[in-house]
Amino acid sequence: MGNITDDTVEKKEIQISRTDNGDGFLKFRKKLFDVLRYVLLVFLVVVWLIPILWLCVTSFSSQSGINISHFFPTSWSVDNYIKLFLKPDSVVRYVTWFRNTLEISVFTCLISTAFVLMVSYAMSCMRFKGRKALMSMSLILGMFPGVLSMIAIYFVMKSLNLTNSHIGMIIVYSAGSGLGFLIAKGFMDTIPTSLREAAKLEGASEFTIFSKVVLPLSKPIVVYQVICSFLIPWGDFVMAKLMLNSGKAEDWTVAIGLYNMLDKSLVNSYFSVFCAGGVIVSIPISILFVIMQKFYVEGITGGSVKG
Amino acid sequence: MREKYDEEIKTELSDEEIDNLDVNAMIHEQRIREKSAEKEKRKQQRKESVQSVGRYFSDAWEAFTRGDVWVKLSSVLMGAGYFARKQIINGLLVMLAEAGFIFFIAFYSVPFLADFGTLGTVKFESVFDPVTLQNTVNDYDNSFLILLNSIISIFVIIVFVIFYIANIKNVYKLQLDKESGKHINTFREDLNELVNDRFHITLLTLPVIGVILMNIIPIFVLVAVAFTNYDQQHMPPNSLFTWVGLANFKSLFSNSITATFGYAFGKILVWTLVWAVFATFTTFIGGILLAILINHKRVKLKKMWRTLFIIAIAVPQFVTLLLVRNFFADSGIVNTICSNLGITRLLQNIGLVSTSIDYIPFLTDPGWAKFMIIMINIWVGVPYQMLISTGILMNIPSDQIESARIDGASNWQIFWHIKIPHILFIQGPALITDFVKNINNFNVIWLLTQNVFITHDQALASSNAKEVDLLVTWLFRLTNEYYNYKMASVIGIVVFVICAVFTLITYTRTIKGDREEDFR
Repeated sequence: MGNITDDTVEKKEIQISRTDNGDGFLKFRKKLFDVLRYVLLVFLVVVWLIPILWLCVTSFSSQSGINISHFFPTSWSVDNYIKLFLKPDSVVRYVTWFRNTLEISVFTCLISTAFVLMVSYAMSCMRFKGRKALMSMSLILGMFPGVLSMIAIYFVMKSLNLTNSHIGMIIVYSAGSGLGFLIAKGFMDTIPTSLREAAKLEGASEFTIFSKVVLPLSKPIVVYQVICSFLIPWGDFVMAKLMLNSGKAEDWTVAIGLYNMLDKSLVNSYFSVFCAGGVIVSIPISILFVIMQKFYVEGITGGSVKG
Repeated sequence: MREKYDEEIKTELSDEEIDNLDVNAMIHEQRIREKSAEKEKRKQQRKESVQSVGRYFSDAWEAFTRGDVWVKLSSVLMGAGYFARKQIINGLLVMLAEAGFIFFIAFYSVPFLADFGTLGTVKFESVFDPVTLQNTVNDYDNSFLILLNSIISIFVIIVFVIFYIANIKNVYKLQLDKESGKHINTFREDLNELVNDRFHITLLTLPVIGVILMNIIPIFVLVAVAFTNYDQQHMPPNSLFTWVGLANFKSLFSNSITATFGYAFGKILVWTLVWAVFATFTTFIGGILLAILINHKRVKLKKMWRTLFIIAIAVPQFVTLLLVRNFFADSGIVNTICSNLGITRLLQNIGLVSTSIDYIPFLTDPGWAKFMIIMINIWVGVPYQMLISTGILMNIPSDQIESARIDGASNWQIFWHIKIPHILFIQGPALITDFVKNINNFNVIWLLTQNVFITHDQALASSNAKEVDLLVTWLFRLTNEYYNYKMASVIGIVVFVICAVFTLITYTRTIKGDREEDFR
């Protein structure tokens, strides 16, 4: 389900179009619509990519502030990237931020993926007392605005002395991740029960069934979970801003560092550096996203609730 | 589910047939029957759940009264029952847990729980000591720590009570097993159970602890704060806060000359709902249309087009939104281009831009900012929806479309009567989830308007709100900048209630557990 393979669509559509053959006027109309369709597509792509293009070209500008009169920079240079990687100053600590963000994201990703898979297996493949109550409760908890509990989480972490620490960040991002089991559970629901029963008859323990039968069959959803849980800390801004508030630039993640560059007093000398930083931080995500495309659709349409 | 859907379509298509009246009547009747059966089932379930709570406690009582001396002893020394059945390690572990609990309550919780009713009475005082030349601080109460630790303690107590009841039942069961000569597990066998029949306990323990720490306790703390006067004038450690009952809720729904929370709340609530409706539907419809456009049979290089749109969402939101904010700034590049092209003049002439300014206030005028936020959100959200719709569109069974073709349906009819219903059918529940997500959509609003949009409405400003705020961004500003925790908590509860209502509408359709076996 959910494979984006273009052939299948085309095949379908060819079958459909058999009845479409008409006279000259119809052919002309068809051509016209084809052209219009491409014009529309190109227009939309331009609209969607203009900000991204602006980001890229500004990152190569030799002018440090915002260029408000020209879209393309008047003179080009790679100084911004050099500044990011080789000349850290009190404002720019890009390499440190990148390492921090990567560290937090990787650990969060490992823990939350494990949590989500564990909970979804228990909810999907096992039957025990209180299962439905737990599921309803997780749904209700999910409705509480995250922003609100953020403040309380901050206080809880502060009383544990875990603010301004990366371990604290990892805990904050991954501890509650078990709640996001619905999609993975939906996917595991589609794995035939007979497979598990067969394994049980052969004498496999639940643990073996989990690790040797269900997990290998859930590969798409595992990939989806890994990428999603990596992206949450990677792109998060609010929680990091709240938790890492010491003002020490070497503790920050990329998001806070870049946000700080747009401060009113700094924006005129760091805007193009901000753009360069934005480009660099987007590269890993873009790659992940292109890989994830397929799994994303599969996860949503296959894993989400059917009907 | 797919089959049922097919059936519906088929009956629709066979509408011209003569005997369709009978079919329709039959389907109608069947539906009524199904509905009443469902109602009956739900009633039954409710009854059962009430009974099961009663049974939970009566079982424990029965275990205690009917148990032998070891079971009765277990109600004080919890491990006793295990020792009697030669489960030494189990007994020791349980005793250890009991000792830990008693130790925790006696030496840690009691001082906090004792002050829970007042949230502290001894105010922070610092006296300069001329002898040591240092400030000596008295043994003051910290209201917030009292609140937080009391809630944690109450949680520990509840968990312990559940554990205690389970323990009594378990010990009684051991006694019965022993009496009937059943095999009693060794410790090794008990451990083995944890990867077999009781594997769910192994799986769920850590995630549940995490959720309790990061979700449940914070929620309880903030619900409690909503009933206190915790704000900038009452900030621990320097001053105390205390319980005030429903006063904060009253001030949220009322207006006076000094406090305008009622006014601000009404305005922001309306905008939040308007925003959520627009944000959900514009991206939903936009995504479907884009997916249909790209998946059209005569469009070449589908994958390339799709990837181009995905690049736009691959850049993290905090980068794109901050960038776009500068893009549309009052003295930003879009304004320069617009004034060069004469668009600013044109808009001034038709009255959309006031003549006192020579730029377009994209993100600084309430009306314009709301419009731009929705437009920018379309930019952010449509590629996601396009991806999802593409997946759904490709899964429409081709025989359906083909048979519609043979019956002479036009492209438009197929789009409107087959594709749209199919997408709605699959995505209906997700649409309401999206709606709730948009009510809580913090990023878009905050990153676009923070430090840019300044409100000129005095009444809003005096309650720290702005026209473009959602309830959640208002809440965040109240806490993060103005330390008004009491009002933020009240708003949070209101948001929760709104979201809960919308989610409960779909609840019966989404995780109603009864149906989950149907898909295997």
